[in-house]
Amino acid sequence: MNFPNRCIPNRTPCGQTRREFLWQVGGGFAGLALIDLLSRSGFPGWNTRAAATSPLAPRSPHFAAKANHCVFLFMNGGPSQVDTFDPKPALTRFNGSPYKGDAKVGSNGRPIGHLMQSPFEFKNHGRSGLEISSLFPHTAKFADDLCVVRSMFSDTAAHASGCLQMNTGSIFIGKPSLGAWLSYGLGTENANLPSYVVMTDPRGGPIGSASNWTGGYMPAAYQGTLFRSGGSPLLDLATPEGTSDRTQRHSLDLLKQLNEEHLKQHPDESELVARIESYELAYRMQTAAASVVDVEREDSATKEMYGLNEKRTADFGRKCLITRRLLEKGVRFIQLYSGGGHIEDTWDGHNDCIENHKLHAGETDKPIAALMADLKRTGLWDETLIVWGGEFGRTPTSEGLGKPGRDHDWHGFSMWLAGAGVKGGQAIGATDELGFKAVENPCHVGDLHATILHLMGLDHTKLTYFHQGLNQRLTGVLDRRVIAQVLA
Amino acid sequence: MISSRWDDSGFATSPEFIRISNVQGPLRELCPPLKENEAVLDRSKTAAFTSNVSPSEQNSPATHSDFASNSHRFSLAILIFGVALMAAQEPGNAANTPDYDRDIKPIFQQRCYSCHSRLKQKSNLRLDAGSLIHKGGKHGPAVLPGNSAESLLLKRVLSTDDDERMPPEEKPLTAGQVTLLRGWIDAGAPYPKDETIPKTPAEHWAFQLVQRPGLPVVKDRTRIRNQIDPFILAKLEERAWKPAAPAQPRALLRRVYLDLIGLPPTLDEQERFLASPTDEALDRVIDELLRRPAYGERWARHWLDVVRYADSNGYERDAEKPFVWRYRDYVIDAFNADKPFNRFVIEQLAGDELSDACAETMIATGFQRLGHWDDEPADPPTDRFDQLDDIVSTTAQAFLGLTLGCARCHDHKFEPLSTVDYYSMVSIFSPLERPQKGRTELAVPVGLPAQVAALAERDHQIARLKQQTNTLAASEIERRIQQLRIIRPDLPQAYIMQEPSRAAAVTHVLLRGSPTRSGQIVSPAVPAVLAKQQPVFPPPGKRSSQRRLGLAQWMASPENPLTARVIVNRVWQQHFGQGLVRTPNDFGVMGEPPTHPELLDWLAHWFAHDAQWSLKRLHRLILASNAWRMSHAKNPDYAASDPDERLLWRMPYRRLEAEAIRDSMLAVSGQLNLKMSGPAMKPPIQQAALEANTDKESIWKSSSETEASRRTVYAFIKRGLVVPMLEVLDLGDTVHSCPQRQVTTVAPQALSLFNGEFVNQQARRFAARIRRESGSDLRQQIEFAWRVALCRAPAEVETTAMLKFREREVEQSALEQICRVILNLNEFVYPE
Repeated sequence: MNFPNRCIPNRTPCGQTRREFLWQVGGGFAGLALIDLLSRSGFPGWNTRAAATSPLAPRSPHFAAKANHCVFLFMNGGPSQVDTFDPKPALTRFNGSPYKGDAKVGSNGRPIGHLMQSPFEFKNHGRSGLEISSLFPHTAKFADDLCVVRSMFSDTAAHASGCLQMNTGSIFIGKPSLGAWLSYGLGTENANLPSYVVMTDPRGGPIGSASNWTGGYMPAAYQGTLFRSGGSPLLDLATPEGTSDRTQRHSLDLLKQLNEEHLKQHPDESELVARIESYELAYRMQTAAASVVDVEREDSATKEMYGLNEKRTADFGRKCLITRRLLEKGVRFIQLYSGGGHIEDTWDGHNDCIENHKLHAGETDKPIAALMADLKRTGLWDETLIVWGGEFGRTPTSEGLGKPGRDHDWHGFSMWLAGAGVKGGQAIGATDELGFKAVENPCHVGDLHATILHLMGLDHTKLTYFHQGLNQRLTGVLDRRVIAQVLA
Repeated sequence: MISSRWDDSGFATSPEFIRISNVQGPLRELCPPLKENEAVLDRSKTAAFTSNVSPSEQNSPATHSDFASNSHRFSLAILIFGVALMAAQEPGNAANTPDYDRDIKPIFQQRCYSCHSRLKQKSNLRLDAGSLIHKGGKHGPAVLPGNSAESLLLKRVLSTDDDERMPPEEKPLTAGQVTLLRGWIDAGAPYPKDETIPKTPAEHWAFQLVQRPGLPVVKDRTRIRNQIDPFILAKLEERAWKPAAPAQPRALLRRVYLDLIGLPPTLDEQERFLASPTDEALDRVIDELLRRPAYGERWARHWLDVVRYADSNGYERDAEKPFVWRYRDYVIDAFNADKPFNRFVIEQLAGDELSDACAETMIATGFQRLGHWDDEPADPPTDRFDQLDDIVSTTAQAFLGLTLGCARCHDHKFEPLSTVDYYSMVSIFSPLERPQKGRTELAVPVGLPAQVAALAERDHQIARLKQQTNTLAASEIERRIQQLRIIRPDLPQAYIMQEPSRAAAVTHVLLRGSPTRSGQIVSPAVPAVLAKQQPVFPPPGKRSSQRRLGLAQWMASPENPLTARVIVNRVWQQHFGQGLVRTPNDFGVMGEPPTHPELLDWLAHWFAHDAQWSLKRLHRLILASNAWRMSHAKNPDYAASDPDERLLWRMPYRRLEAEAIRDSMLAVSGQLNLKMSGPAMKPPIQQAALEANTDKESIWKSSSETEASRRTVYAFIKRGLVVPMLEVLDLGDTVHSCPQRQVTTVAPQALSLFNGEFVNQQARRFAARIRRESGSDLRQQIEFAWRVALCRAPAEVETTAMLKFREREVEQSALEQICRVILNLNEFVYPE
């Protein structure tokens, strides 16, 4: 029988019968076969019974995936394209003169200054000669692996709606995030860890916080799980204070025994079985998650490479190192935030974009390069997609006369992709002469999402979830396209 | 054939088909763009088409680009077509006559139904039944049996003239599809003689007025307790099935408490009932529970889900909605007072426009302002319509069970709902404005109209006084102001929208939903398919347009086929886990048909007539039925044949919602704070969960333990930061109307319930209570705990397990550990 995969609209919420549930999450019978296979081949944490009832059971993609995992390096606040990956010699020429183009400049009535050249030197790197600014000396070593999209654009000038759009495809709250769509579409390979991990900046989260990694109208199981880079990484992971590990285990055993006694009266209730197993899974998660963040056993060269020994890079470096360890354990989607809180604590360089970017690039450049090197070393490079960028870019003009700040620019900005399935060593698309607006091969945020899904083996037009009378999808109702030039 | 050129694209109309195949085409076809994309509509063509097509088609903005202006695209299509012709034939059709059901129907479904089926009949042609294909449309029969070459269908499909070719959108049919059609026509275009002709949407069951069916005749009268049972039993008897036996009295007692008030029975209450646990005694318990305020606290929450209640707006500032809790309290009070549901509907839609308007009815209109709100919108004109869309979509879903929101940019693809229907509804709400001062929202004083007017006059006088600094001493001004405030004190504030004037601005249809592209003018109306005759909307009143009043009166009238059906179904769903219609917000063509259509109509009719819209009477009826008193006993044969349990042969087994779990824990531990109403409390959120917020220091000020021990319906729902324990227990969507909670089972729930501070705290309090109330003997302690938590004594094997656990553990905390285990038992969250 040919059951179309992932196409049964989720007409009724899950949790009626398990069979129905499987249908809704789109596993179908192909999914069941896969589960059986997985349980025998020993995917961590999965056994047949758990898989048959879990919304996160592994599911096959629409077509052969180039990447199994995705790391989204979210440069919160909006990095300036003309200072990072989009060199504009014309800006130097017109430095200090007023902007006369027709793009709407800036946001929220902030003062508009004159055109401001980048103080950062751009050089050609690698065999490809990709131009990268001096903000990223380490990342630049991977120039031949990067595919810079210089012609990104979004629909909004505000951080809240911008972050929402980059993460959920919509400027409105309440829509599932990219990672939720991936969890829904592909499930997880390792039940002992969350499928979708988010690590935020110690200064705070992005604006809109959890709305950015929500499951929206999907079950909460698909939402991003906050992961802390030290101590107890997950909420309520640690055994409660005053309870010894031994007592914890004994209590769990008692719970299991009593629940199994109860199950005897209800032998065919799969929900009860699933709930019994969820406690065992949680127990295994305690060990698995705690060991992932225990980076002390990494050798000193590795720690050095990630910048763990320098104050500036230690935090992001640790997160990048944990990212590699999470990838090794099969986590599907990991999002790291650089920058948190407000204004200059993020890439939101309204006051002094130059010092701002020196700080945030300085914190992240070395760890990101280390992650790429490490993924290549471990072979994970070939199955991992890496995405770098923020919710929008920054204006080529200064914010206010003679001030070194830059305002928001959503008409054109740069992001880069690297890793599995990505054709590196190229910059695609272009902004106008001054860097305001995407003019050549403009790529909407939705196009980026379509491309990421494509690389993960999912067709953005077919990955749908039935809600409010409509088959919803990440890329919404407008025409979005896979950015063909990105693909290797 | 201009009309065909302007047909909407799309391919599917029948729900059966959509369920299985709609992902084969891009969703763009299901829902055309919200905003314009690059292929804009040529305005000159708009003029051409408006002069040539019927009014209903005018309302449907064309969604595709003009082929003439995209000739390169069309050439490409021909090229692809040519290549396809050379390609190998599709499998399984060359030698044999194509099969109508297997080969032919799917082609029509995919490519033709959007214009030629029950939903739309361009050129009067329908292709969704063999007989109709033979009959054809205004250009004659679509097929000449045995003569494909002369058949209109083939001619149009193969035409190279882009004005003629069908389908006009997307690529032409593939060579394989054409071959199939040709083979089928040449074979005489056969189709099954018993093929049913799909009904037109106007004939859809839910759009017909409710009539009361007679009670079915059943054999086994012993399982009939009231009028509900024959409907359930008749379907079972058709299969020679038997309903599950009644549940045990203890199980029923716990069930009825959790169902009606969301709390377990106390030991006293258990003893009282179990002394003589008859059906009639249970009826009395039900009556008693319905009189408790806890009933409203439990049932209001279900309605709050439907109306997307939250305490904050979402987005960057995620600001608190001032005084929004008054709406929550209004709903609780309405349930407790058994406010007739039709009145409840009217008050929420038009409480300010009633002749007997008062503070309470004005607070009710808070319904309209509960949505998410971005105080810094990317595009203010669009934002205005987004806010209206939130109101219109929620109103249609909550009261009518219709997905009207889909008709914002184009006529609904699957329901008989047009953009005119949608914008007519928009025109009803568009006079409303959100009281605000920049990014800050303002609340509104509410009371009797005269009180509100007098207060406005007072404030006017105060403002004037404040300007008289030249003629009056400051102290004198202050004195007079004080006096005014004493004579005319402040009124309560409410979080509601306002109509600033009785005159309403003109509303247009927005082409493709774009605020910059106005179409025809619309006036207040209800969806055409629901009303043979439009209700009369009253003229503007003294203070407002009274448009909402017109809508509200129609909503609550017997002329509306949906309101009673939709609410009866929601109540049924809360009692049985599933509604009779399992898509509680969608009673349209796309919704699921009812499992027991006659029962639904009987209940709806009874509710609106005999019960006079009393929800408490409806509860009594449902809970008195044999159906509701069945046990969970699972018959494996029935389950195999009816895995979704649509026939209700047992009481469906289901987990409690987040609120009932948390409240039950508080009740069991003895900590439950029964304080009702007022501003929301904030259950503690651990610091680790706040780290990811921009303002992690200030975002959440947890309430004291006493305050946080109030019922969960009083917990602050912050859209950007949902209390983790509630979130993980499937609290659900806080942004859109949530017709039914999801039930997922995942490890983070176990982490929260086993390791989380809330449950551990309740376990400690529970243990202390046990020591206090049941003495020091462990065996007695265990039995006490079990009765309090689960409404039954433990079995010997259970007691033994706990005693053994105790032996292995250190003295002090063993009972706490046992309590933690009890609060985590499956039986605790899955009541019998």
